[in-house]
Amino acid sequence: LAKKNKEDKMTNLVEEYFEAHSSSKVLTSDRTLQKLQKRRLNQQTLHDLLKKAPLAYAAEIEELNQQHVSLFSKWMLQLHLGFNIVLYGLGSKRDLLEKFRTSVLQDSVHLVVNGYFPSITVRSILNSVTEEVLDHIGTFRSPLDQLEFISKKFKEDSSLELYVLIHNLDSQMLRGERSQQILAQLSSLPTIYFIASIDHINAPLMWDQAKLSLYNWLWYETTTFSPYVEETSYENSLLVQQSGSLALSSLTHVLRSLTLNARGIFRLLAQYQLENKDNPSYPGLSFQDFYQQCREAFLVNSDLTLRAQLTEFRDHKLIRTKRGADGVEYLLIPIDDSTLTDFLEKEDEDA
Amino acid sequence: QHIQEDLNTQLFDNLVSFLRRSHSECQEKTTEWTCRMKSREIPAAALILGVNVMDHDLTLKSLSEVLQDNITPYIALLEAKDCPGIKNLMQKLMGQLMNCHIDVDSLEDEDYVQVSQNRIRCSMTSLVNWYKSVTKKTDSETPSKKRASSPRHGQSPPVVVIFKDMESFTTKVLQDFIVISSQHIHELPLVLIFGIATSPMVIHSLLPHSVSSLLCIELFQSLSCKEHLSTIIDKVLLTAQFPFKLGEKVLQVLINIFLYHDFSVQNFIKGFQLCIVEHFYSQPLSVLCCQLVEAKKRANSLSHDQCENIRRLPSFRRYVESQVSEKQVALLTADSVVKEVTQQLLEDLHVYHENYVSVLRCLHVFTSSLPKYPLGKQIRELHCACLENQVWETEEYDSSLQLARMLNKSDLVTMLQQCVEILVSSSGKEFDKTVEKLKEFLTQFQKLEAEAFQEQDVSISSQKELRKKTDLYHLQKTLLELKESRRSKKLTKFEMLRFEVVDYIDSLVRSYLVPADHKTLHEILYFNTASVLRAHLNAAPRTALHTALNNPYCYLKNQALKPDGGSISNKAPDICIVYKLHLECGRLINLVDWLEAFSTVVMAVEGPHADAASSDQVDDIIHARFIRAVSELELLGFIKPSKQKTDHVARLTWGGC
Repeated sequence: LAKKNKEDKMTNLVEEYFEAHSSSKVLTSDRTLQKLQKRRLNQQTLHDLLKKAPLAYAAEIEELNQQHVSLFSKWMLQLHLGFNIVLYGLGSKRDLLEKFRTSVLQDSVHLVVNGYFPSITVRSILNSVTEEVLDHIGTFRSPLDQLEFISKKFKEDSSLELYVLIHNLDSQMLRGERSQQILAQLSSLPTIYFIASIDHINAPLMWDQAKLSLYNWLWYETTTFSPYVEETSYENSLLVQQSGSLALSSLTHVLRSLTLNARGIFRLLAQYQLENKDNPSYPGLSFQDFYQQCREAFLVNSDLTLRAQLTEFRDHKLIRTKRGADGVEYLLIPIDDSTLTDFLEKEDEDA
Repeated sequence: QHIQEDLNTQLFDNLVSFLRRSHSECQEKTTEWTCRMKSREIPAAALILGVNVMDHDLTLKSLSEVLQDNITPYIALLEAKDCPGIKNLMQKLMGQLMNCHIDVDSLEDEDYVQVSQNRIRCSMTSLVNWYKSVTKKTDSETPSKKRASSPRHGQSPPVVVIFKDMESFTTKVLQDFIVISSQHIHELPLVLIFGIATSPMVIHSLLPHSVSSLLCIELFQSLSCKEHLSTIIDKVLLTAQFPFKLGEKVLQVLINIFLYHDFSVQNFIKGFQLCIVEHFYSQPLSVLCCQLVEAKKRANSLSHDQCENIRRLPSFRRYVESQVSEKQVALLTADSVVKEVTQQLLEDLHVYHENYVSVLRCLHVFTSSLPKYPLGKQIRELHCACLENQVWETEEYDSSLQLARMLNKSDLVTMLQQCVEILVSSSGKEFDKTVEKLKEFLTQFQKLEAEAFQEQDVSISSQKELRKKTDLYHLQKTLLELKESRRSKKLTKFEMLRFEVVDYIDSLVRSYLVPADHKTLHEILYFNTASVLRAHLNAAPRTALHTALNNPYCYLKNQALKPDGGSISNKAPDICIVYKLHLECGRLINLVDWLEAFSTVVMAVEGPHADAASSDQVDDIIHARFIRAVSELELLGFIKPSKQKTDHVARLTWGGC
């Protein structure tokens, strides 16, 4: 009966999937954040604001944490018996692991890996093992060699013990097949103890049977409900101003330092782009047309000066050139229209 | 802890040795075959190992040990993960072969230096002329090997290369390696062994005809993992040797993980290990879980707290309640009485185990021969059924008894004989005769046999009679008589005995196969918290997230969070509200609408306390909270930013979760 129930559930799930993906047309309203009369928050103000907002249910969360903390001694026992521990559940497990580190691992060699850190690599993990734990100075040709070296060292010296705490084992940088393979092999060494946390719902997909057996996980549910502060600080959300794209402030900053003519040139291009913003096939302004317009406005006097000016813009990533199908160079400003409008408005005010 | 580690090692030694043994047959064959093979093509052995990849390590390692012991070859074990390209493969191969050299010949530094040189040189050689370098290396390798080893072994020993997981090798590397080595087969006698997880078809799909024609493949089959499981259960769980036992539910969980998930014996062992750890960690009385003599000693030196613990056990309480009142008082107050009784009870438990195993085996012999296997084919199923509750109350047991009553033909006698033999051997070997009744049982069977002989005699004599009298009338008469006698005399005798036997077995079952839960002090020896095991071995992170998001009350015990029938509780943590709102959407979600909905829900809470004046700031805070919740959902993998439409996110899950 249970099996049949499960089957029913399965078919339901399958149907739900196809239901969700059946129509290619998705009905949502066309409203965008731009139209919302509100400034976008940047990382700093967001942080400040969140600090002001009180954390709900602090007492209950604290109680939950106490429950998890009581498991620490058990974890130690199990780690020593050759298991590795993986924590899952809603909420950041950073503080919990940190507490584990400070309370239990105080005087043993341990390594903390911040998986959510966007530039972490397996190599850096291995390097910190070889350089700081094993005191070995030297480079390795490949991570595999390094791993071999590490395992040899650890097998030779059984008194060598290392606790590795990994926050977010399933982060972007570590979820790759090769890095997981290496980490798994590292974790299978008997005197290296792993404690990791995972958050992504599909995190277990990255392990096949061979890796699972190397990891030898013991699963612990540690739902903490605490917010992912550090973890999401690197997650570029749509709602936060992205540092990667050009922001209004940086745009004005760069243009402030330019000559009046140069500013005029950019303005001209911006205006032209805004006029054509509803035309989806707008390829940008061709160089010849642009030259013509600039001449008419007495902004440049020769082909060469305009080109020099454009090169400067390009160096500051203010414009992008694209070659059209006919071989003509088209100029585009790679900034979204709203920022551009804001910019022009501001310029008008200043002028 | 000490005991526990002892137990651990004891158990795992047993398991490993057992695994070894089960493979040895296959290994013997392979070894023999490698010795024999010396042909023009590259001889290759394909070992079909089954899908439980993790267990192969042990198999192949012991195989290489066996091969090494018979000093036939030098062995290199290649794993797919070490060999992304042919260069790495050759490097690894050389390294391992050289090391083998050193191991076997116990030569010192000279060779080792050569190894490291070799490796460095290999790293220097550019990708363009890897082929040249590889051939050079092999060439230089070959004569040295011959020189080094030939005089000792008389004939040049083959070099065995084991490919651990054939399926995960890249085809090109494998093909290149085979082609290259086939060119050097005259100087370097190579033998390849492929470990195959799926079926031999994979060789043909991986290797084109031109390559596979260079190989001379012979197939070897290893034991299926199910057989491993049943033997492990047989050897480890169904012996009186180990005091630690698994409860029914735990065993079920372990077997289910094995049969429905991974077929991995190693995982089974891991689960078993976890059970032991958990038992000795959580149960304060597990100190008594050891061999009987030791346990008695320990029971004698129990502290007061431990005695209290014993008194607190539910099974002990039941025991106390069944006693007379004076004794009850004594049990509840005096520690010395408790100690005494505990020793007595522990001994009972041990005796019970010994009887249990033999009777279980006996019953298994009976039931496993029945058609349709009402109680299961394997002994583990029977074991589970016996542990679960009183087996004689189940329908399956009834039907099997009925079947046994009907099935008893004379050829079944021989079957019974067989199982008696098994019992004799087991009773002689495994325990000193605690079960006196077994003997009785035996004699009954013998009688039965004698009976059968008699009957045979009778029928033979009657047939002789039949032959003498050729008269038609007489013939008819004797035939009738014969029939009559058969019906009346023989059948009753036979049937009576049959019933007797079945009833006896029934009574045996009733007396000895009492589930362990009904025994006093079973908590000491049995580990029965399956939920712990399931949570740690077979976790469902997705479900945990789902319940936490859907129903935070499960974790945060606040009255305000009590679920009220599916609607969004506006007092839930932010992320739960955002999650619930996102569940209502289709494939794409508009961020603005989402934000608006969120702020409506949250404002409903804030509304009473928030002043209108500071609404702008409140708004900002709500906005910030929304951003945080959305980025948390993104981190958890429920949504991802979508480029299809501005300011939309795509949902990655569907339906309710």
